[in-house]
Amino acid sequence: MTSSHTLQARQLSLGYGEREIVSRLDLALPPGRITVVVGPNACGKSTLLRALARLLPPLAGSVLLDGCDIHRTPTKEVAATLGVLPQSPVAPDAIVVADLVGRGRYPHQGWFRRWTRADDEAVAAAMLATDVLDLADRSVDELSGGQRQRVWIAMALAQETDVLLLDEPTTYLDISHQLDVLDLLTDLNRARGVTLALVLHDLNLACRYADHLIAMKAGRIVAEGPPGDIVTASLVHEVFGLRSAVIPDPASGTPMVVPLGRHHVTPPA
Amino acid sequence: MNGLDTMAEQPTAAEAAARLGRLRRHRRRGFGAVCLVLLLAVLTALLVSLCTGDIALPVGDVWDTLLGGGDAGSRFVVVELRLPRALLALLVGFAFGLSGAVFQALLRNPLASPDVIGVSSGAAAAAVLASMVYGVSGIALSGTALVGALAAGAGVYLLAWRRGINGQRLVLIGVGVGTGLSSIVSYLMTRSEVTEAQSAFVWLAGSLNGRSWPQFWPLFGAVVVLAPLTLLGSRALPALQLGDGTAAGLGARVERDRLVLLGCATALAGVATAAAGPVGFVAFVSPPIARRLLPGHGAALLPAALTGSALVGLADLAGQHALPHTQLPVGLVTGVVGAPYLLWLLARANRVGQGG
Repeated sequence: MTSSHTLQARQLSLGYGEREIVSRLDLALPPGRITVVVGPNACGKSTLLRALARLLPPLAGSVLLDGCDIHRTPTKEVAATLGVLPQSPVAPDAIVVADLVGRGRYPHQGWFRRWTRADDEAVAAAMLATDVLDLADRSVDELSGGQRQRVWIAMALAQETDVLLLDEPTTYLDISHQLDVLDLLTDLNRARGVTLALVLHDLNLACRYADHLIAMKAGRIVAEGPPGDIVTASLVHEVFGLRSAVIPDPASGTPMVVPLGRHHVTPPA
Repeated sequence: MNGLDTMAEQPTAAEAAARLGRLRRHRRRGFGAVCLVLLLAVLTALLVSLCTGDIALPVGDVWDTLLGGGDAGSRFVVVELRLPRALLALLVGFAFGLSGAVFQALLRNPLASPDVIGVSSGAAAAAVLASMVYGVSGIALSGTALVGALAAGAGVYLLAWRRGINGQRLVLIGVGVGTGLSSIVSYLMTRSEVTEAQSAFVWLAGSLNGRSWPQFWPLFGAVVVLAPLTLLGSRALPALQLGDGTAAGLGARVERDRLVLLGCATALAGVATAAAGPVGFVAFVSPPIARRLLPGHGAALLPAALTGSALVGLADLAGQHALPHTQLPVGLVTGVVGAPYLLWLLARANRVGQGG
């Protein structure tokens, strides 16, 4: 079962005020696949994700959800199909986990906010998937960083959207929690065919988990495609300015980027 | 889809849903219980206000009079003197409490309350200007105060708007605007007659002296319209509290929903100020008290409103009867309660290192 919803950008130009960050970019997220966007700092990847998530109006061009301009579609309709988890989300003080996850049901609730069984079930399923059910009555403030991030992901899952955009969901997590989150997102994609788009900093995890990798630099897409096809040492150099060796990851077979700095590098024989 | 498999037994989806349902019902019962207790406190304050005074009336007499019986003397004291003032106190507290709760929840800042960010100052400045320069009084004065509140609120909002509203910036700008308006009021008072200035001072402290049915009904009408509107608008609060980005992702019309809520909250503060003057600290203190009574319930608007009612009701009671032969303005009593809280809040913020 694959998501049938398409999300594309057409000739998209983005910026803040006078500064243009992304110019005339074309992009189509492959439906039902995990897309990861990587790039150096300030390359526009978060800006692009925000624009796709309808959080940033474009300077020119358009974002199309199922062929319709996302800025002309009613926001509730968009929220029922497209979920977004921004970077560093804020939670109000003294809120319990079940309450926060429950807020993900906002787009599905009518004007007078009747809470239905379907809502309970969606929240329960989301909390089971992220393994936060035992934390249901704990205050979000008391949780560790990893637990809190899982709760935010549970909220995004409770929204039950076919497309989910996540801006750096793993940045503040330790390595085991990073893998937990990425494995969880992969489960979601395989089981329900949810289209996922993530911004990640870790190039190797991106190569391992992405079906479709997009490498950006200075507001342009430098290369996109399956990681095995596009990730080469010359691409890494072009995008990140980094000398590297690209070898197959011994665990997964996907490309693994071995950075070559000035120290601790054995010269090739 | 089973997520992470652990060695412990995972509950089924139905069990999990049932557990969450139980949790939700438990929280709702807690909410209802606290609201009931607050309502009882409010009614107790009302009853005590009706019974106490220079002419102490037993509860039975008061009850009879309210039901239509009782002698003419009791009826005059209860229905003409005490009842409108007591009801007005409760209504003013309700409006301020609700207004403060909305501001603090929306702007995510415990300092954001209409008396801090210039709304009450706007109402006060408009009222003082109108009464001193143009001799306006009565319901027109109330209307002027409301207009002043809305104008000040709109001004602060527009000054603080920059591709969205940042709570901290709005509070800072509001404090600046409020200070400016207070200095206008001070200037006006230096230009007026001593007696005018004196009555203005009393009004500015927030006072229910001499308030009766003519002040009650406009406020009642306004609250009957604004309170349901606010509670309806608060439907968007759970999303808005999560930050603009997340709220938009959940389908909230962020700018519009926030504007509606801010407008209602400003209007509530405006009409309450029009009725009793800028009663300080009620809007500021009631929401944290309500949140402390109901931890984990988020914004808790209705409990905050009821807390405000109880607070002003009890404060006016204390102001009238605590000191013999002296009537203290209600704003003075709420200030005595509220100012230490503000100091404690600031001290705690400094120590713990959290902002605001």
